[in-house]
Amino acid sequence: MERRKMLTMLGLSPALVAGYPAYARTAVKAVPDSSSGDGLITVLNPGIPNKLATRYPLAPPLDNLEDKTIYMINLSWEGPDAGNYFYGAMREWLAQRYPGIKTSLKVTADGMFGLDPAILKEMTANKADGAIVGVAG
Amino acid sequence: MQLRIPAIGVSSANVVHYGLDYDFKYSNGMPVRYVAVPFPFTGQPKAVDVGYVTGKDVLSGQPLMTAVIKALTDPLTAEEKISGAPEGQASDTRLLPSDTDENLRRLFEDKGWTDYNWVKLPTEKLVTEMVNGTSRKPGEVIKSIDITGGSRQLTVEKVAIAAVMAGASPDHFPLILALATQAPFGNSTSSMANMIVINGPIRKRLNFNCGTNALGPYNRSNAVVGRAFTIVSKIVGDLRNNVNAWESLGSNLQYNNLCFAENEENLPEGWDPLHVQMGFKPNDDVVSVGIGWTSVSSVGGSQSLYPTHFLIRDYMRSLSASGSAATILMDPTVAALLKDTHGFKTKAQLAEWFSQNVEKTAGSYWGNGVIQSTAVPFALQGLEPYASWKKLPDDTLIKPFTNPGAIRVVVTGGKVQTTWFVTDFGLRRGLKVDDWA
Repeated sequence: MERRKMLTMLGLSPALVAGYPAYARTAVKAVPDSSSGDGLITVLNPGIPNKLATRYPLAPPLDNLEDKTIYMINLSWEGPDAGNYFYGAMREWLAQRYPGIKTSLKVTADGMFGLDPAILKEMTANKADGAIVGVAG
Repeated sequence: MQLRIPAIGVSSANVVHYGLDYDFKYSNGMPVRYVAVPFPFTGQPKAVDVGYVTGKDVLSGQPLMTAVIKALTDPLTAEEKISGAPEGQASDTRLLPSDTDENLRRLFEDKGWTDYNWVKLPTEKLVTEMVNGTSRKPGEVIKSIDITGGSRQLTVEKVAIAAVMAGASPDHFPLILALATQAPFGNSTSSMANMIVINGPIRKRLNFNCGTNALGPYNRSNAVVGRAFTIVSKIVGDLRNNVNAWESLGSNLQYNNLCFAENEENLPEGWDPLHVQMGFKPNDDVVSVGIGWTSVSSVGGSQSLYPTHFLIRDYMRSLSASGSAATILMDPTVAALLKDTHGFKTKAQLAEWFSQNVEKTAGSYWGNGVIQSTAVPFALQGLEPYASWKKLPDDTLIKPFTNPGAIRVVVTGGKVQTTWFVTDFGLRRGLKVDDWA
């Protein structure tokens, strides 16, 4: 007996066997199909597989935050205000606990999806030690 | 530019989950360390955003600042040191395992390949017939998705599969291929929607409706072409709810994408069809696509006691004016009124009048989140008029539609009533259908 037909008669979905496990939830109901004669249909796959991205490692972490220069980058998600409030409070919190820390708050001039070369240039010139980027949502 | 310094991300939980999973796997490739605040972050009182700093990291449950410090200082894990080509790339399977109609439909729905209305299953015979509607080869890549949102290639055959599912005919296929180059459709956390306008002789050849009920469910071509754009967008965009589609409210307009044709035969003399305004020839078959959010109806017909263009102007104040974009849809009777009674000899003249006469307060303009995201960067760069507008008191009136060329006027409808819509859709330059025949 043809394998697909046998699976159907057993109440199994051939799609299950091929790796689509959700389709064994109900017994297969045969649907007349003049082209195949066995109630099964062959269709093209609409899905397009995602290509996995090339991996990039993280930069080495800091030993601690003492005397470090930390940039806070405000992506201006729906405007800069919320990010500025948040980062402002974060700067105060860090200044109280790390007296030697230097923090700099920057709002990107290229919007939430753009790079801002001027900020990157400034971070290089000022030997930035770390960055906090956000805040979306 | 690589600085090789630790950089961590802080965002609300929904964005972070996307960043840690989908974005990392398919777009970014870097296992960025994130700290998460509750959602929503923007639009909250200042005290709420400030309070997040002394609150908890939504991901780890630790105090947020403890999580920030750990993210900047914890040693790297083995996973965080990986570089190079990833293993386990999925391969494309052209044919699905044979199955019953019922099971295949369930599979299509669970994979998010449909709009959850009834689809025609894409058998090889039907897809081959659809592909025969163009001279393009089935394997030709017409679009690559390679920015945020994953990495996928859209071929002619995948578009044909979507066209079959939507119920289209091979005659529709060149038009759907042209449309597919604009896929995936506009989609954001806002309730973004899309508009499709058909111009040229193809309107008659494929029997598009540009008369009575042009925007309603009364015509096959309007229905299946608009729907095909939804299905192909969902497939190539891998748009699945809470995976890669995050519209908070969503938009019912995404079922059909406001697909209609312009009533070119009933334009007043001097009023060019949309595609001719864009520089195409009258006999070119053209499809124009744009994104937007909002449609405001005149509700009733025009009244002689208040000029129609005054009321359109008034209603346009409610639009965000993002990108200076607006598309005004009007019945041929409204176009005739504006031409014959109010003296607008061309669409361009009318658009110029709106650009000069629609006013809203600076506070209302900047109070819109999309304007904040798109126009504040211009202001920060010193670009005018945004830099000056940013300094204005909230109650100062500005003219936000700075570019009359971005205000489109499209005439459609059946001359039953003098009705119109103002919308904030920004139509991009059209696409010639013949390029995809």
